[in-house]
Amino acid sequence: MQPLDRYLSNLAKLLPADQREDILRELSEDIHSEYEDKESELGRPLIESEQLEILKRRGNPLQVAAGFTENKGTLAFGPQLIGPVLFPFYIRVLTFNLGLTFLIVGAIFAAISLAGQPIHFADLFSSVILQLFIQLAAVTLIFALVEKHLSRQPHDWSKEDFQKNLKAAIQSRIEKKIQAGPKEVSRFDSMAVLVAGSVALLWLQSIWANQYLLFGPAASFIALAPIWHVVYLPIVFTVLVTIFRAAVNIARPDWLRFRDVVSVILDAAGLAIVYTLMFAHTWVVPAATAASNSQHIASVVNQWVPFAIFASAIIALAQAIHDLIRLYKNWRWSSLHQDALH
Amino acid sequence: MSHSQESLNLFQNLCLELRRGSLILAVLACLRSEQYGYTLRKALADRGLDIEEGTLYPLLRRLETQGLLLSEWREAEKRNKRFYRLSPLGEEILEKLLAEWKAIDASLTEIVKG
Repeated sequence: MQPLDRYLSNLAKLLPADQREDILRELSEDIHSEYEDKESELGRPLIESEQLEILKRRGNPLQVAAGFTENKGTLAFGPQLIGPVLFPFYIRVLTFNLGLTFLIVGAIFAAISLAGQPIHFADLFSSVILQLFIQLAAVTLIFALVEKHLSRQPHDWSKEDFQKNLKAAIQSRIEKKIQAGPKEVSRFDSMAVLVAGSVALLWLQSIWANQYLLFGPAASFIALAPIWHVVYLPIVFTVLVTIFRAAVNIARPDWLRFRDVVSVILDAAGLAIVYTLMFAHTWVVPAATAASNSQHIASVVNQWVPFAIFASAIIALAQAIHDLIRLYKNWRWSSLHQDALH
Repeated sequence: MSHSQESLNLFQNLCLELRRGSLILAVLACLRSEQYGYTLRKALADRGLDIEEGTLYPLLRRLETQGLLLSEWREAEKRNKRFYRLSPLGEEILEKLLAEWKAIDASLTEIVKG
């Protein structure tokens, strides 16, 4: 692959999808014009290092893409940690993670309150601050590393060996649009899933080692029941497969069938986990060093957990139906498209 | 960071701010005659106003979205190029901006003279 194709391929991943082809065509034309000018000045074709020099002067793809991206903010403490291209996805991942965490913290404190235990503002505040700090630090660190990595490798950001050149890729995208086929998997969505999955994995590992991170002050009364030992590894494996699927779709956003099939398998795994949990009857037990009323707290929490599991089952089922329909639709479109080609 | 380096950075930042507003005027004025991105960039550079591609193309898109420019893809020199020109609204706004710029220039000249 020529340096220009590599440069534009890297840039393509960062541009807004609705303008991508147009911007790439125009920038490609601009760079070709500059190449031609330089070639007529030198009286010979440009060698690779000269082409690279021209591309280097234009700035790394992340900076160039930032100019075309609506600026929804950046994160900087002195030097810029997260630029305008990644910032919207950083906010999306952070919001999702914090929302989920605070939901869990809220549910735990509600259960403690229902069990008749007094809730101290200091406990609630320290739990919220602790979760906020952990999520903020983990997500920011991951995104800052991604940003740094992208900025440092301006012209060879991706080592992927693209088989098609840019023209063919643009042509195929235009054809796809004309034939109203299914869209590619958004690279940024895949990136967001990858980061969220990584944070979830870290969080799972952390709560296993220290249940205070899950229960907060209630960890002195209650602990996870043995059923969680049964489902822990399947959950970790499901998250790992989700991360793998996202990583593959970052490299190959056109692998829709892969995304669809893996999603359905993950949905099935998720439903199996929820099914296992649903019939466990006991989800929390009194902590080993618990006070006398911890049995009562555990039983109150155990009364409420089935509602949460039932809600999770409905969400998981809806997701599974959605993914099955998507798989069927994309499969059918692909078959019709193949027939039309032959 | 040394004092001279700080002063240089400050000067560069202020220059950047000063140029930012003038760029729109320069681009609109250049596009009274139809041009594509590369020739526009060269035309500006030849008159001492270097502009990076990463700044020019987003600016062209923004001005087109605002209705000040019109563009079309056309073949020229055996390749497809996107040609830009001022729209009727762009011409109207350019005239007003030029009058404003001349007024600012006159005021500044007076102020600088003391």
